[in-house]
Amino acid sequence: MPKADKLQGSLDLLVLKVLSRRPNIHGYAIIAAVREISEEVLRVEDGSLYPALHRMEETGWIKGKWITKETGGRSRVYELAAAGKKQLVAEEARWRSVTFAIDRVLRTV
Amino acid sequence: MARQNSGGIMRPFPRVRSWLRSCFHRSRIENGMEDEMRFHVESYAEDLVRQGMRREEAVRLARVEFGAIESSKDECRDALGLRLWDELWGDLRYAARMLWRSPGFTAVAVISLALGIGANAAIFSLAKEVLFRQMGVPNAKQLRLFSWAQRPNSHVDSAWGSFSKNKLGEMTGAPFPYPLFVEMRRHNAVMEDLVAFKDIYKLTATVDGQAEPVDGVLVSGNYYPILGARVIAGRAIAPADEMSGAPAVAVISDAYWARRFARSAGVLGKPVDINRVPVTIVGVNAPEFKGTKAGGTPEVFLPISVQPEIIPDPSGSLLSNRELWWVLILGRLKAGITDRSATAALRLSFLNAYRSTFPEKKESDMPRFEIRPGGRGLDLEQQSFRQPITVLLGFAGLALLIACANLATLLLARSSARQREMSVRLAMGAARWRVARQVLTEAMLLAILGGAAGLLLGYAGRNLIPNLFEYSWRANTIDAPFDWGVFVFAFAITLITGLLFGIAPAWRSSKADLNSGLKEVTRVTMVRSKLLLGKSMVVFQVSLSLLLLVGAGLFLRTLLNLKSASLGLNPEHILLFELDPPQSRYTAQQRERLFARVQDAIAQLPGVEAATASAMPLLADSMGHTCYRPRGGKGAAGHGGTAWENEVGPRFFGTLGIPIVRGRGFTAHDDQHAPRVAVINRTLAKKLFPGVDAVGQAIESCSVGPLVKPIEIVGVSADAKYSSIRDEPPPTVYIPYSQVSELQSMTFELKTAASTGSIVPEIRTAVRSIDKDLPLLELRTQTQQIDATLSQERVFADLTSGFGLLALVLAAIGIYGIMAYTVSRRTNEIGIRMSLGAQARQVLGMVLRETSLLAGLGLAMGAVAALGLTRLVGSMLYGLRPTDPLTFLGAAVLLGVVGLAAGLIPARRASRIDPMQALRHE
Repeated sequence: MPKADKLQGSLDLLVLKVLSRRPNIHGYAIIAAVREISEEVLRVEDGSLYPALHRMEETGWIKGKWITKETGGRSRVYELAAAGKKQLVAEEARWRSVTFAIDRVLRTV
Repeated sequence: MARQNSGGIMRPFPRVRSWLRSCFHRSRIENGMEDEMRFHVESYAEDLVRQGMRREEAVRLARVEFGAIESSKDECRDALGLRLWDELWGDLRYAARMLWRSPGFTAVAVISLALGIGANAAIFSLAKEVLFRQMGVPNAKQLRLFSWAQRPNSHVDSAWGSFSKNKLGEMTGAPFPYPLFVEMRRHNAVMEDLVAFKDIYKLTATVDGQAEPVDGVLVSGNYYPILGARVIAGRAIAPADEMSGAPAVAVISDAYWARRFARSAGVLGKPVDINRVPVTIVGVNAPEFKGTKAGGTPEVFLPISVQPEIIPDPSGSLLSNRELWWVLILGRLKAGITDRSATAALRLSFLNAYRSTFPEKKESDMPRFEIRPGGRGLDLEQQSFRQPITVLLGFAGLALLIACANLATLLLARSSARQREMSVRLAMGAARWRVARQVLTEAMLLAILGGAAGLLLGYAGRNLIPNLFEYSWRANTIDAPFDWGVFVFAFAITLITGLLFGIAPAWRSSKADLNSGLKEVTRVTMVRSKLLLGKSMVVFQVSLSLLLLVGAGLFLRTLLNLKSASLGLNPEHILLFELDPPQSRYTAQQRERLFARVQDAIAQLPGVEAATASAMPLLADSMGHTCYRPRGGKGAAGHGGTAWENEVGPRFFGTLGIPIVRGRGFTAHDDQHAPRVAVINRTLAKKLFPGVDAVGQAIESCSVGPLVKPIEIVGVSADAKYSSIRDEPPPTVYIPYSQVSELQSMTFELKTAASTGSIVPEIRTAVRSIDKDLPLLELRTQTQQIDATLSQERVFADLTSGFGLLALVLAAIGIYGIMAYTVSRRTNEIGIRMSLGAQARQVLGMVLRETSLLAGLGLAMGAVAALGLTRLVGSMLYGLRPTDPLTFLGAAVLLGVVGLAAGLIPARRASRIDPMQALRHE
């Protein structure tokens, strides 16, 4: 199973995309979502996800907040910020152009 | 595929902000991370349980799969930029622990750095004030001061002000005749108007019936608006104030306002008398404006139009006097005008003004016009303080460099001692630069501790050095502010210092050899090469120390030579004070009568053995000279010559203890009705009347005209020093003051065994009974007066001896440190030597030989450097040459003995090594 973060630049894109569809979910749910939607093809390493979340939060693409669970512990959930939405559009466009280009190379050569 | 912008480039500002937030809200962030990770593991475990796994198993698996939570957290920290902070903090804590564990080393380091940095900061604050402070007006850098240079031997008009010789041997000065100023101002095109001013010392201000001396400035009406000087109360002097018929006004300084009027608002409109002329105070200067003479602190600013009343001159108003060069001129360059084009334009303007002011004069007599930077106004301080302050800064810098070399030595020795620690760290995977950074952090921590202590020390001693420059009986006028500039300077030298002494040890530690560093046996072979760097540091340190000691010795001996120099007079038990009766109330004749009355009155006070007076106080750096020639001698150049003149009272020679070797001194009968008489000293007698008895001969002034009258020589005195101890007694002529027509102020000399405290009130009463408004000025003893002219020499002797002592102590510590370390590392080797039959004496000799080699090399290098450098202070010395062999030898012997003594302690320790123990130690 390829690791999502080994595909250059794809981790941020995946996280942003997942958050755009399912706001206010925690890190574990993001990993689960990626795995589920990609039908177990892509896997986000937990060791990469959390630093990435912190970084994106500092950059202002996503916002995190603490919610208290009924069990008493707390968990941190994330949603897209305005800058993140713009970033998502840009990243998606770039991803598409890159994959399209690779595809064309594969088909032509 | 190109690397894509996935990480997101943060703008620097949010990054810094988030980093700072991360640093300061550390625990909250750490808790958050912990919680988030724990939640992740729990969720995963829940999933596993749902898939049918046992709970404990699920939790274990989740943990394992999540990997080390800690390492994950580390990566999060990295994303937040916390790692650098963590490492720095760790380094700092470790450094603090290391320093705490060796308090002796830390104390030596911090104290020596504090002394070095403190001295540098204090001297820097003085230099900043005395050499670089700009006038307290906006855009002071645009100001230019007018000046001139006169070829030697060209005809000079009379002038009032300060002059100096430039490199070409020309006389240069800044005063101009007032009519010339008016003319140049009228035809000025390159300056935003010209302003004139003149500093006047010792005006008498009578406020509410109390008379006291104040310093003043006469200023042209446009002075305030053109300079842009601010007033904080009332109004400034305006052009209307110099119109004829305008009421006399004054603006006072902030300091005078505070001192004399306690900052009362009632001062505006207050009438005061300046030299007996009533004037009204209309304004108060802003504190930052201290007039237009660097270092001056005038208290009263008056329109220049009051000159004829306040300081009347026998020749009439100076405002229309063409002959006297006296006012100083400042101008502000117009925007876009360069100095070169301004000088060219002003030279033309000066030429025209000179022609119209002096239609009868030849142009060859005209001085060359120049402009000087005027941001500091009239600047005589640069000239007199630049060399001494530069030399002091040099000394302080050397002292700090010695402290650096000393610390580098000690740190190198320590870093070698910590070889194993460093090797272990490297073996455990620490990067080399990490290890180096640790050592550098320790050095920086020391530097910052030393710098902080030094700044406190400098602050505490900020007035110490300026005070040493001042006359002890006057109020302190140099006010060197300890401001952010000094702080920045101290901080910068602290950082440089830390780098200087930290870099060699840091580099050394990072080079630790892993393999041998961990093995004890190899160290004997290592030590020698490793210590080479440390030993060269000690040699360097000793050589710098010798340099400082030689300097200190030269200045100390200069002071001693000056103090023991023969003066030709007896300064003991002589009290001096000055009277300066205002010209506005005393005519020349009244003044002469006043002086005679005062002299008689004080001579009769109980306990006074003798009293006299002189126009020039002796050995006070004041002088006046005139050209005299033998009566009837033609060709002034051949026979005549400049003589230093002093107008003195009866009993002058007896009171001051200057022997009369031929003829007689003056008596009360030598007054204006009697024939004119003079006493000359031996030097002048030899010059004017070689081979002939001077008594009975007559002299006359070199100038021509009906006023030249013959003066009969009635006595020849022994040579006595005149204005300065440094100068040999000049050819001197003494004239009774009662036969001189233009007397200004007078200094009275009293020979008394009574204490100053008991006699001064009696003098005050005596003078007050003659004129109750006449203040006693400059009250001091003749010895104090002589000491005051030596203040700079004393500052030098004090400070350089202090630096020399510091250097000596540090050299001892450095030598001790390196030798003690050598011995401890060679314990094993010495043990072997001793077990093979070496005697304690031989071991002692071996260590001492090494010490003397280090010290000797350092001394030799220092002596060479000193021979080259002491020339630079040659002009400041007295009675010895800069290469004085006695001083060099003394400094070298002192340093050598102290160095050997420092080496003796480790040497004895080495000689007492027990071979059995030393070998077992392995």
